[in-house]
Amino acid sequence: MKNMKTSDVLMQWSNVLEMVYESRIDSVGLNERVNSLATRSIKKDSKLEALKMIVTMCDLTTLEGEDTEGKVSQMVAKAIKPNPLDTSVPSVAAVCVYPSLVSVAKEKVQNSNVKVAAVSSYFPSGQVPMESKLLDTKYAIDSGADEIDIVINRKAFLEGDYRKVYDEIVALKEVCQDVHLKTILEVGDLKTYENIRKASLISLAAGSDFIKTSTGKLSIGSSRQACYVMLKSVLDFESMTGIKAGIKVAGGIRDAKDAIRYLVMINEEMGSDWLNPELFRFGASSLLDDVLKQIKKLQTGAYQAGYYFPRG
Amino acid sequence: MIDIKKTYKNYVDGKYVRSESGKTYTKELKNEFYELPLTSRKDIRDTVTSSKSGFIKWNGLTPYTRMQILYRLSEMIEGNKESYIELLVSHGMSKQKASKDIALAIESIIWFAGLADKWEQLAGNLNPVSEEYFNISHQNPIGVVFSLSNSTVSLNNLLLSLLPPLTIGCSVISYSEESSVLALKFAEDINNSDFPPGSLNILTGKFENILDDVSKHVEINLVALHKEIENDGLKRIQENASSSVKRVVSLPSISGLSSILPYLETKTVWHPKGT
Repeated sequence: MKNMKTSDVLMQWSNVLEMVYESRIDSVGLNERVNSLATRSIKKDSKLEALKMIVTMCDLTTLEGEDTEGKVSQMVAKAIKPNPLDTSVPSVAAVCVYPSLVSVAKEKVQNSNVKVAAVSSYFPSGQVPMESKLLDTKYAIDSGADEIDIVINRKAFLEGDYRKVYDEIVALKEVCQDVHLKTILEVGDLKTYENIRKASLISLAAGSDFIKTSTGKLSIGSSRQACYVMLKSVLDFESMTGIKAGIKVAGGIRDAKDAIRYLVMINEEMGSDWLNPELFRFGASSLLDDVLKQIKKLQTGAYQAGYYFPRG
Repeated sequence: MIDIKKTYKNYVDGKYVRSESGKTYTKELKNEFYELPLTSRKDIRDTVTSSKSGFIKWNGLTPYTRMQILYRLSEMIEGNKESYIELLVSHGMSKQKASKDIALAIESIIWFAGLADKWEQLAGNLNPVSEEYFNISHQNPIGVVFSLSNSTVSLNNLLLSLLPPLTIGCSVISYSEESSVLALKFAEDINNSDFPPGSLNILTGKFENILDDVSKHVEINLVALHKEIENDGLKRIQENASSSVKRVVSLPSISGLSSILPYLETKTVWHPKGT
């Protein structure tokens, strides 16, 4: 979706609406399919490759009130060299911070491939007037963010005002221009699979480069089921427009095993095209620690302790 | 009446679980056959994860609370005395010996419960230095302890292999081969004593199967062997343990204050006297 002008409206609102109202999901079949994909066993060399792939797909994240320049610098150092003792471990895709810390992160990622993502539009609730959301996003972009993670207006969505949800994303995309836009659906708030599909389609039609499961601030984070609904929406959107959008799963993915199950699902359903950081990401703070432990475990045969790896 | 037999399971993270491998091994006691979980490599992995968080919870409690929980454990055993005696008798022990073993076990718990808020005064130290400073040896529990229990079937022996590290705040993975039925029965009383999940996990199986996994696991801080290891086992354990600087203790003392010493980590603190 890069190099697209924002004036190119991707889909007319009437088409979007038609798609949204056609959303029906067979939840029993969906669970069955997702669970069957979770039983694949990935071993040895393939597992090592998968683990390294996960590292390249990670958005290392810190989104807390207690974030400081020091904490972000430390995280960026870890993002660039996740394991300083093992140069075969690649850098992560991006670091994800609040807008006020973008400039710090940007300065620290110089001379590396790591991008800086900022959450904006009053993440995580998004409960402010549109002007504030635009301002928040502009500030992040002016500070140098390469990617912007916004939240959809769940208030409007749950009230049934889909048009408002769509319009807000379109307006924010206009601010972003070429800056990568990831739209967070917050699947935990949406409750049903139908809602996740509707929100996915609205976000994609409005010009999001990525759709993302969760903020990580709710107890219900990402699930493979939610990801499955989203990936099907992305595929449907591709068949209609020819545009490949990405998916970012975030919230509650803590171990390497779970992450590998996501990769299996993406590979089986979407094809290997999507197995790259341009189209698939993990939003994680603790996942990377487990992945590093598992890489070392494969290399040495011994289960590892977290304190031998960098904090961040 | 149908005679319902109990399914014995490992006790991990406050839950009764089968081995993820699905494997069991059989133990015969007085013509009765017991199917016991054969702990696998992945069970060890999961148990250590639980013990790691159990250590933080258990060590985070005040010594007073740890004392209360240990004391409650003795109350639970007291209440189930008869069934313990019956089980020991089916292992071939005389009834008199079995009663004595349970009485001793309860005494051991009460002794260690009493030690819970006193051990640091006894094991710690003010060191003599020639400057105007206090130099203090502050004692800390080492962390996650793997304890291989003794081969004699006795509740007191089993308890003495896990009480010393438990009392000072370590989390313990107790592994039994010969006394497996007894250990898994004992897990029920642990469950009724308010131990935080993961502070004390009980596993059974063949130690030889998991010897390498345990001794190589970086997150296990100490391996205590309460019985002789055959062939080159001990050497293998020590070599594996050296890669993560794990402490290995073979046949540690189980009585008195000296029993807790292997599980301590000393921090030296300097503080000005301020005179």
